Amino acid sequence: MDNLSNPRRRQGSPAASDSQMGVGGTGQRLMRFAGDFFRVSKGERSEQVAGYLTIMPALFLILGLTLYPVGYSIWLSLLEKHSFFPQERFIGLSNYIYLWSDPEFWSSFWLGLVYSFWTIFFQIILGVAAALILNEAFIGRNLIRGIVLFPYMIPTIVAVILWKWLLNDMYGVVNYWLVAFGIVQEPISWLGADHIMFSVVLMSIWQFFPFVLLTILARLQTIPEKLYEAAKVDGASAFKRFIHITLPQIRGILFVVILLRSIWMFTKFDTVWLMGEGAGAGRFIRTLPVYAYMRTMTYYQAGLGAALAVIMFLLLVICTIVYFRMFREEADIG
Amino acid sequence: MNFPRLQHISMRTLLYIGAAALAFQAAFPFLWMVSTSLKPPPEVFATPPAFIPDEPTLENFIRLFSATHFLTYFKNSIVVCGWAVVLTMIVSAFGAYSLTRFRYPGREKFAGLILTTYMFAPIMVVIPFFILAKKIGIENTHLALVLSFTSFCLPFTLWMMRAFFMTIPLELEEAAMVDGCGRLRAVIFVVLPLALPGIIATSIFTFILAWNDYIFTRILIASDELKTLPVGVQDLFNSSVIDWGLIMAAGMMITIPALVFFVAVQRYLIRGWGAGAVKG
Repeated sequence: MDNLSNPRRRQGSPAASDSQMGVGGTGQRLMRFAGDFFRVSKGERSEQVAGYLTIMPALFLILGLTLYPVGYSIWLSLLEKHSFFPQERFIGLSNYIYLWSDPEFWSSFWLGLVYSFWTIFFQIILGVAAALILNEAFIGRNLIRGIVLFPYMIPTIVAVILWKWLLNDMYGVVNYWLVAFGIVQEPISWLGADHIMFSVVLMSIWQFFPFVLLTILARLQTIPEKLYEAAKVDGASAFKRFIHITLPQIRGILFVVILLRSIWMFTKFDTVWLMGEGAGAGRFIRTLPVYAYMRTMTYYQAGLGAALAVIMFLLLVICTIVYFRMFREEADIG
Repeated sequence: MNFPRLQHISMRTLLYIGAAALAFQAAFPFLWMVSTSLKPPPEVFATPPAFIPDEPTLENFIRLFSATHFLTYFKNSIVVCGWAVVLTMIVSAFGAYSLTRFRYPGREKFAGLILTTYMFAPIMVVIPFFILAKKIGIENTHLALVLSFTSFCLPFTLWMMRAFFMTIPLELEEAAMVDGCGRLRAVIFVVLPLALPGIIATSIFTFILAWNDYIFTRILIASDELKTLPVGVQDLFNSSVIDWGLIMAAGMMITIPALVFFVAVQRYLIRGWGAGAVKG
């Protein structure tokens, strides 16, 4: 292969037209694509072939293992299909019509919103606050930076059994302390109907805010120190420095983090499911992903399960588009 | 002592209190797990609960290894995660090389497509995946697990490897080829050694992701002898009487490999290279 021995050419035409491909209609784009492919020199052609060959396995796996299943779930949602037996029957939109009048669907939708809202809200507040603390210089900073990431790195099952043990109504250390310090008279049933939403929100914040911390901290480290020094000379207080320097600098990444966390909290299955399992009060934290799982694996209604997955997917696509429209400026920065 | 100095001291105090609180909330649940796993059964349920066991014992661990299928689950986890890492890394190393070294129409489109699938949540993929796996007859096999872990990890490994490859100057490779090296030799002797830290870090993140998976294994695997650790331990937990000492010992044994690997790569995370490297 001789194409790399001439480094000049890699600034050449195919690369430039690559970025222009977004312009014009589909037909035009296809023409340009074909043009790029056929109207090139021999060296460029072999580079293109090598490029396609090396990206092929990854594209093939992503198409086959992610995009095709997600597409297939749209078809599946139009079927009445048992999860374990091969029979299937086309029933059109009946699954969606059923869900529309299903109180269980609406309650899980609402519970999912409540769960997502509170977990995201506190993850962002705590994550940013913790990142600001860990961005200051102090003794033992690197050690603590490592330790605070632990909860994010462990399997969810471990996080859940840890918290179920800490919050255990009879032998849990949390109840013991609350009673011993006289904060409450009676031990609280943390996994009972009244408190299980609080417990799963608390535990999810604990498990996932390190992601926010990590991402914001990485951004904070790239803010030029000069900006702060200038502000200090001008006598700006710490609060003012945060509002006028730090916040504008982290706006872009904050936009991305809120988007990612929203998507992942709204579709969070394992934490919520495992927390509710065996607790008896599981139905008080039955969010949409848990409901989709139960329809598929407990009631064997794969069609309904798929319909729920499709609804979640569409909701996320719509929300992402609206979000980008609303915060276009931030999107450009991020 | 003047006013600004006093203010400085109180800010430092607040800073240390904040840092200590952060360390405590992260570490305490783990320390409590260690403590419980070392207690004999009567002490586990003692009131008041003691932080340091009176008579520390390894009895819970011995019971875990002898009376449950823990070792089978452990082996399954290692095998499945190992294969998932190998497959993911080979495919994403080629893909990342392609995205950073070759020019071809559609390249940025492919990169965008891959980044988009990064946002797909497992729950949206696993239900159709399960039905499809049944159709082609690979449900309840480790192969199905390896494939699903790969689909889950691939977008972010590709993205991370792409970032690593971008830090390796193109000129080095070109110089080697001008000197008469073929591309393959240039890749093996010039690019790979430089990319090695990145490859290792990415492999470890992939391993941790696969190691922590619950949902794919829960849905795709039915036989007890094929289960991985998170699902196996949940089933231990769901047995009628909860043996907290045993459960905490199991929790420790799952956590240790994840934490050992984490400690090995945490400097990449903190440096910010791996920000967004983990999903979930």
